[in-house]
Order: sequence, then C-alpha cells, then structure tokens
Amino acid sequence: MDFALSQEQRQLQTLARRFAHEEIAPVAARYDQEANFPWPIIEKLHQIGLLNASIPESHGGGGMTMLDEVIVGEELAWGCMGIYTIPMASELGITPVELAGSTEQKERFLRPLAEKPALAAFALSEPGNGSDAAALQTRATREGDSYRIRGNKMWITNGGDADWVVVFASTDPQARHRGVSAFVVEKGTPGFSAHPIHGKLGQRASSTYELVFEDVRVPAANRIGAEGEGFKIAMRTLDKTRIPVAIGSVGLARRALEESARYANQRRAFGQPISQFEAIQFKLADMFMGIETARTYTYYAAWLADQGLPHGPASSVAKAYASDMAFQAANEAIQIHGGYGYVNEFPVEKLLRDVKLNQIYEGTNEIQRVVIARHVLSQAEA
Amino acid sequence: MKFMALIRQIPDAQSQIKISGGKVDLSGNTLIIDQMDEYGVEEIIRLKEAQGGEAVVVAFGPERTQEAVRHALSMGADRAILITAEGYVDPVSQAPVLAKVIAEEAPDLVFAGGQEADWDSQALGAVVAEALGWPLVSWASEIELENGKAKVRHDLDSGSEYVRVTLPAVITTQQGLNEPRYPTLPNIMKAKKKEIKKLAASDLGLTENKVQISEQAIQEKARLGKFITAGDDPAAAARKLVELLHEEAKVI
Repeated sequence: MDFALSQEQRQLQTLARRFAHEEIAPVAARYDQEANFPWPIIEKLHQIGLLNASIPESHGGGGMTMLDEVIVGEELAWGCMGIYTIPMASELGITPVELAGSTEQKERFLRPLAEKPALAAFALSEPGNGSDAAALQTRATREGDSYRIRGNKMWITNGGDADWVVVFASTDPQARHRGVSAFVVEKGTPGFSAHPIHGKLGQRASSTYELVFEDVRVPAANRIGAEGEGFKIAMRTLDKTRIPVAIGSVGLARRALEESARYANQRRAFGQPISQFEAIQFKLADMFMGIETARTYTYYAAWLADQGLPHGPASSVAKAYASDMAFQAANEAIQIHGGYGYVNEFPVEKLLRDVKLNQIYEGTNEIQRVVIARHVLSQAEA
Repeated sequence: MKFMALIRQIPDAQSQIKISGGKVDLSGNTLIIDQMDEYGVEEIIRLKEAQGGEAVVVAFGPERTQEAVRHALSMGADRAILITAEGYVDPVSQAPVLAKVIAEEAPDLVFAGGQEADWDSQALGAVVAEALGWPLVSWASEIELENGKAKVRHDLDSGSEYVRVTLPAVITTQQGLNEPRYPTLPNIMKAKKKEIKKLAASDLGLTENKVQISEQAIQEKARLGKFITAGDDPAAAARKLVELLHEEAKVI
C-alpha cells in the first residue's frame, strides 16, 4: 500500500491550490451575493487545462484520472463550493458519453469541450421525481432516424449554460427503468428551453435550471448506448460522480477548519485567545478527524474507480459521510465565530449554505444509505 | 537563440519560520520557486515563443530544488540543469560554478531574479555576469531583442532608463517585467518527459563556501503598547497620536 501522490499529482495540487487562492477565493463572496455565473473563472480553468479534464487524451482532453480529479477538486471547493459545482456538474454530463458513447460520439461531443471553455450538463431529475429516478415522465418517441422528446427536467446544474445536455427519457414507459434511454440534446435545438431557478440558499455562483422539451427532435445518432440502457448508464455515472461531491465536501470542511483555527487564535475571551479553551479545541479536533478520514476514504473510492473495481458502495459511503461531516464542520465554524459567523462579512455562513446542497444533490444522503444498506444485506446470510 | 533562467527554491510567503539548533528549520513549510526567478522563467518562455530556439532553466540548491525545476518545466521551459549542493551557498561562491555551466551551454541571454526573497541578496546576477565577463542589466522591466542586441528598460528609484547591451548578457528581473503564467495540466504531463540534468556542485569546483552561517535568530519586535486616552479633548489626543506616529514610529 502506497499513500504517496506522484510528482505530477503534487504539482496538480499546487496548481489547483494556487488557482483557488488567487482566482476563486477573492471573488467567491461577490459571485455568491450577486448570484452571477463566473464565466471568467471557467475560462481560466480551461486555460490551465482543468476544465472537463477527464476527457481522454485521444479526444483532445487532459485524461485526468478520478484520483487526479479529487486532488484538484478539494482545492477548488476550498475556494468556493458553488463555483466548483460548475466544472463538477460538467464532468457529470460528460461521464455518460465517456462510459457508453461510441468513438464517433466521443469525438463529436467531447472534443469541442476540451478545445474551448464550454460545459456539459446531466438531466435526470424531474419536477415530480428525484430519488425515484425510474419514475421519470419524459418521453422519447422514435420517428424514423430521430426521436421526439417531450417533458420537463428539474434542478439541472449548468442546464442553460451547457453546449449540450444528456437527457434521460423513456422510450418504453411500460418497462419502467428498463425503458429509459439517454440522449445528447444540443443547446439551441428547436423546442428545447432552459429556465433559471432563483432563490437558492447557497451555491449561488452556479446556475440551476428547469429544462423544457417541447417535441424536441434529436437525431438517433445522439442516443448514448442502446434503447433501454439509459437507467444503467445514469446509475454507473452517478456511482463515479458522487466521488467529486465527496471531495468537494472535504475541501469546504478544510476551509471551515482553517477559518475557525485562525479566528480562535485571534479572538480573545476571559483574558486569553478562545483557542485555549477545550470547548473550542474539541470542535477543531473533531473537524480535523472528519476531514482526514473523509479525504482518505474518498481517495480510496477514487482509486477503486480508477482500477475499474466495483466502487458503487464506496462512492456512496464517501459522499454521504463527507457531506454530513462537512455540514457539521461548517455548522461548528459558525458556532466558533459566534455572531461574526452569522453575518456575511466572514466567509463561514456561506460554507453552511453551500454545503447543505452536498447532502442533497447527486443522490440524497438517504438514498446513499439505502444503497449502502442493500450492499450490506446482499453480503449477509439470508 | 538560447535563453536561460537561473532559479532557486524558497519558503512561500505564508511560511512559519522556526529556528532549531541556531539554524532556520524549513521542515513542514511549502517550498516554491522564488517569484523574482519566476519572472525570468516566464521571460525565457516568451522569448522562445517569439524568436524560436530553446528555453533552459538552471537551478542551484539542495536536491529538493527539483520541485521548483518541475514547476519551471510545467510552465513551458524545455529542459533543466540542477546543480545540487546541500546547505547555504553564498552567491559569490555559486558564481564560478554557475559560470562554468553557463559558458558550456552558451546561451544568448541569462535571467536571474532581481532580489532573493529569502536572503534579500541582489548579488547573484551581478557576480555571475562578472564571472562570465558579460554585461549586466539589473532591475529590468521590459526587454526587446533587436539585431543581436537587447534593449532593456532599467528602473531606477525615481525614473527609468533604456539601455542597449550586446549579447550574451545577464539581466536581472523585477516586478512588472511580465505576469508569469500558471502551469497547465498538459504541460505538467509533458514536463514528466523533459530532461533534468543533475550535476553536483562539488564536481564543478565548489570547494569551500566563502560565507559560513554561524547562527540564525528571529528578530522579535516588541510593541510600544502606548495608549492615548481621548477624554474631554479628542483634538489633543489626535495631535498626540500624529506626533507619536511621526516622531517614534516614523511611519508618517
């Protein structure tokens, strides 16, 4: 067993850390308050090769492994979880094409996303269903060499900004999850519109949309995988992409700890810095324990994915554990800051607002526990 | 043409410097390329992109300096030479060693950082130029190549002058010369395959360090700890504050 990062991974970490310090952290509060989409940051991420970086080198990308991705992700999320969600959700859109697309489709859809600052998106949830993904209502009807898509998708990160969206729609409603198929719908396709969702608690730099498909004609050549394979593709995608959600939580929790430790050293009460009190020290120690264990486990889940080993239960553990841990860390960071933690002059209230979403998106932590419990029970004697 | 930058590795600005056994202890600190040297690396990459040729970095320092070398290669330098020597080596002792390597490489331009962020020394560029017998322009903020010469803007305390030097020459950098680029993912991967030639300073004639450090200590500045009470006369208190800032703190 070797816990050492390679020379290149250490350099990636240094690069992402510096980028987060210099380019993200200084503007994070502004983008949050204005709920503005940070295109300048997305463009810079593209310049340094860290946008859509999992695209294989054979299709013009950086060929980053999942472990590389989590090393970078922790740093970017340290700067701002909301901003990190944008490249993270783009990877979520890219993954179905990487997993199940033909060489022609990879070349057609992935190469442009490596060559310019552009995004992908992933559309599974609908206004009436989220965790029960198989109950989706969006329909795709075959008509000659194309499909006609009708329906609505909800909570779609990057949905209106992306060059294309992977849309999951049923080609055979009777077959429930075995009737779901995946389609790439390009921006600007007639009948496809995106409507921003306003009033989010956190992660306000990223944009979330409702997508409407009114008889959208999509060439059959845009179907990813066979008819009926869509649900499996979506689940295999999420098995991987929960890992970046886990590491985003680790980055955010590390920020909570750093801000708390600094504040505790500076703030005085009863004639001494509050960092001298065990009540504060225990909070800091608990945060550190959570961050270290969540990071190590997330690296393990990423390593499993890179080895091509089963990683579904591991990515569920990483995601639920890390985001619950980070929620707790952000909550305690506010407690340590007292009243100052409750106002936006200090960065910790934003951490709590941002991290709440990590417990919800890409499968709620309740669904993760269902996945984990099924895994446990499948291993147990009947 | 061949362009060369001299680089060093230093603790980053956030480092908590400790002293143990009368010596600076850098363990646990993040070590980075000296930012003044990074301007040099950026400049040789730009010159190479504009003029063609080769961008070579030469590093002097302990084995760990390799990380700074990788950084320069990931920015886009073509190859590197790392001259290793453990412990502190003063610029005058480094100069003949560096000059030997530089003379063999025969670049057209050599860049050195204007000032070392850790030791505050400004000597390295000058002593290397002297050892080579080449002209030196210090504190450069602009460079243009024209007909085998370099036109360099040299900044002074209260102005600037343009000088023209014949090549080869040594130039020291300063803030404003350029904005160093970030390494990129593709360049980090490419850097893996780039050559780092390692040479031991002792094999290049470094025998004894001319300057030995006998002991190091951190200077702790005590606060004045003076309180001015405004009381009934805030104007008088303000006058007193200005007087103290002017006379004692000497900051205004």
